[in-house]
Amino acid sequence: MLRFTGKLRLRLSSCTLLGLALVGCGPLPVPSGLVYCSEGNPESFNPQTVTSGTTIDATSHQIYNRLIDDNPYTGEFIPALATSWHVSKDGLNYDFELRHGVNFQDRPYFHPTRQFNADDVVFSFERIIDKNNPFHFVSRTGYPFFESIGFEKLIKRVVKLDSDKVRFELNYPDASFMANMATDFAVILSKEYADQLQASGHMSDIDSKAVGTGPFMLVDYVKNEYIRFRRHPGYWGTIPSADQLVFDITPRSTIRLSKLIVGDCSISALPKAGELPVVAAHENLTLESQPGMNVAYWAFNTRKPPLDNIKVRQALAYAIDKQNLLRAVYQDTAVEASGILPPSSWAYTGTALDYQYNPQKARDLLKQAGIRNLSIDIWAMPVARIYNPNSQKTAELIQADLAAVGVRANIVSYDWSVFTRKLSSSNYDSVLIGWSADNSDPDNFYTPLLSCGSVASKSNRSNWCNAQYDKLINRAKVITDKGERTELYRQAEEVIDAEVPLVPLAYAKRMLLKHTDAPPILLMPFGGIGFNDMGNKGQQ
Amino acid sequence: MANYLIRRLNLFIATSLLLIGILFYATHLFPVDLGYALSGIQYPTDAQEAQIIEDYRLDKGSVRQFLAYTGERLSGNLGVSVTSKRPISEELLLALPASFELAFVAGLIALVFGVPLGVIAALTHHSALKKFIMAGTLTGYSIPVFWLGLTLALWFGVKLGWLPISGQINLLYEIRPVTGFMLLDTLLSDSPYRIAAFRDALLHIILPAVTLAVLPFTVVVRITRAAMVNVMGQTYIRAAEARGLPYSKIVLRHALPNALIPLLKHIGLMLGPFASYAIVVEVIFSWPGIGSWLVSGIYQRDYTVIQSGILAVALLIVFSSILIEVLYTLANPLSRKEFYGSN
Repeated sequence: MLRFTGKLRLRLSSCTLLGLALVGCGPLPVPSGLVYCSEGNPESFNPQTVTSGTTIDATSHQIYNRLIDDNPYTGEFIPALATSWHVSKDGLNYDFELRHGVNFQDRPYFHPTRQFNADDVVFSFERIIDKNNPFHFVSRTGYPFFESIGFEKLIKRVVKLDSDKVRFELNYPDASFMANMATDFAVILSKEYADQLQASGHMSDIDSKAVGTGPFMLVDYVKNEYIRFRRHPGYWGTIPSADQLVFDITPRSTIRLSKLIVGDCSISALPKAGELPVVAAHENLTLESQPGMNVAYWAFNTRKPPLDNIKVRQALAYAIDKQNLLRAVYQDTAVEASGILPPSSWAYTGTALDYQYNPQKARDLLKQAGIRNLSIDIWAMPVARIYNPNSQKTAELIQADLAAVGVRANIVSYDWSVFTRKLSSSNYDSVLIGWSADNSDPDNFYTPLLSCGSVASKSNRSNWCNAQYDKLINRAKVITDKGERTELYRQAEEVIDAEVPLVPLAYAKRMLLKHTDAPPILLMPFGGIGFNDMGNKGQQ
Repeated sequence: MANYLIRRLNLFIATSLLLIGILFYATHLFPVDLGYALSGIQYPTDAQEAQIIEDYRLDKGSVRQFLAYTGERLSGNLGVSVTSKRPISEELLLALPASFELAFVAGLIALVFGVPLGVIAALTHHSALKKFIMAGTLTGYSIPVFWLGLTLALWFGVKLGWLPISGQINLLYEIRPVTGFMLLDTLLSDSPYRIAAFRDALLHIILPAVTLAVLPFTVVVRITRAAMVNVMGQTYIRAAEARGLPYSKIVLRHALPNALIPLLKHIGLMLGPFASYAIVVEVIFSWPGIGSWLVSGIYQRDYTVIQSGILAVALLIVFSSILIEVLYTLANPLSRKEFYGSN
């Protein structure tokens, strides 16, 4: 049997099919650029206003910059828009020296007349913390990440010391402040653009017609189709080699794979584990993977009976077979979760007790709780996420496990944007969801996922509020000694273990598929994808 | 003649009004605030709120509301999309041409291959060939389109890697929409890559167009065959044969034009199934037409998209059916009696 390589096949086929109609065969010349098959529509073009990874991927490292970046391997901070920083002895004042010669993107709707300075930094953060800022209420979704970490309470004020110097005054010391400044959410907007929008009355454009200082500028967005970026010629860092960057919005993962095979995109997001054998069979495709800073979990709405009963939650935790889940859903691309903090974090101890699969114990606990004929809803995400490539399948497996202990489960799902909106109204029994870290600080798992403050900001999907737990994580936040913090987080895991507001399922690897001839991509354990700064970040 | 056209126009207007009425009623059944369902603005400012009430007469009775709704929709105010916040009419103008392009290419394939094959099936004395064609078309007619689409995509796209199976074009080609037809726009663009872009667009349309063409193709073959068999038995054909006209001339000049008239009528009847097939094909191949736009609108609970998608598709089908009926009447001398009919 004859075997052709992919390219030769393509050439042969286009020749045979179109040979009559068109003169000339061979691979088609394509403009310089990179097509990334992404998994969904962004909700906004400003990462301040969202938590969804899809939006972060499309905006944070493309359009914008942050004051500082975060080296995931060493936990050190790297200068970005700030060239140096200084922390006062009491840990209450953070001074940032700003970079000179940073240009904002010149767009048809905004022509910058000045370069980046302290006003932009003050504006970007005042918008979040100051209710009197005219742009504060322009965001209909609020500032979920900043609300979940209590940023408003933490920051007393942001002061411009000089045109290239900014001071953040804190109300109390916070060990995770720098890490939070390095997250994908803490982007810098243009004050001049905001003023222009305010004058023309189109204030909501600030989050859709984006202007930033990043390596790519937004050209065009067609819902369900694509986002087109062009390189920013005045970028302060290394100017991207690709002339354009296109996000090809392709929600179905099989279609992403086939687009990759026929060459319509050169990098593709979030493959399903079942597709990996197909990738292995194609010589020109490679899989990039990296242990991720994420956790997939099954959260119980602890405010809704009968899930407010600890015994019921424990029973459900005993009832599910995680090993089976890992085999069927992740197929060697994840490790079983024992707590909410993944092993790649420096504070990981691995001592959290684990609810081993024990259906008999589950039945006993339900009997003790006096619950019969329990029926619950499981909300499953419709899209693949880094932490769970296939929530629907996970839900089905859990459904089968629960049936074995006499609990009826009903799987609920909506399109992603509807799903998150309906989740926020909090009328669910349980939800399969997860968390990808935004920075290397362990607090990024404990505070947004389970603290009392995060109930209001809707990132605490268990609606669980525990005073002892809050005390532990708040203490861990103000000290800088890593050993002490690790110990406090271990105790926090014990509280979670006893109360079971959620069942951690898996720590997934981050995966990307790419063509062998696509430029090298350095996959980070956390945060959004960036198409410019990836190559050089690892070396620093 | 004028009377006939007016009657058809009345039919169109009446059907459209009925359709709008059903949509208007259905809009009230959406599980959200009426103003939101009508305008697509979830969090209106006070000024927008007042504008919505003013536009749709939400403070008045339901008859006034219906009239206002009809007026807004017909004047092109379809609201804004819930998900993208852009005017629906803008999105519709991007999606519609893509659907037309696909339907046009599929229809062309069906006619170019279907008519000759139907004629051959009618005239051949080779019984095995006739049976083969008829069996083939029956199979094609029975295959569910979603299965066919997925199989073709799997085979030509994933297994062989020959043809792209999704989208209209490689997105690195930046093509500005002029006509909305990607094949034309690539040629009209001033990009140095326009020939490559055209060939890329052509490669992209092959699989969806072939999949969509299968149903009309089989129908065209079968109708053409039946009509040709019928026509060839008519006395005027025998008279032409008796006069010694060459066989090819009899077939092409005398028989075929008459055989195509019933085909026209059947095309009109086929529009409904064809449109639903087109929606399925668009979804399978992620073709950015009105079908996939409507389906993703349903998944995203984009109420304005759902209404406008249904309205646009239904109006198009109604309009084209009536248009084809008029053409049929004009082409068919026998039915012209109806011009003078009293009914």
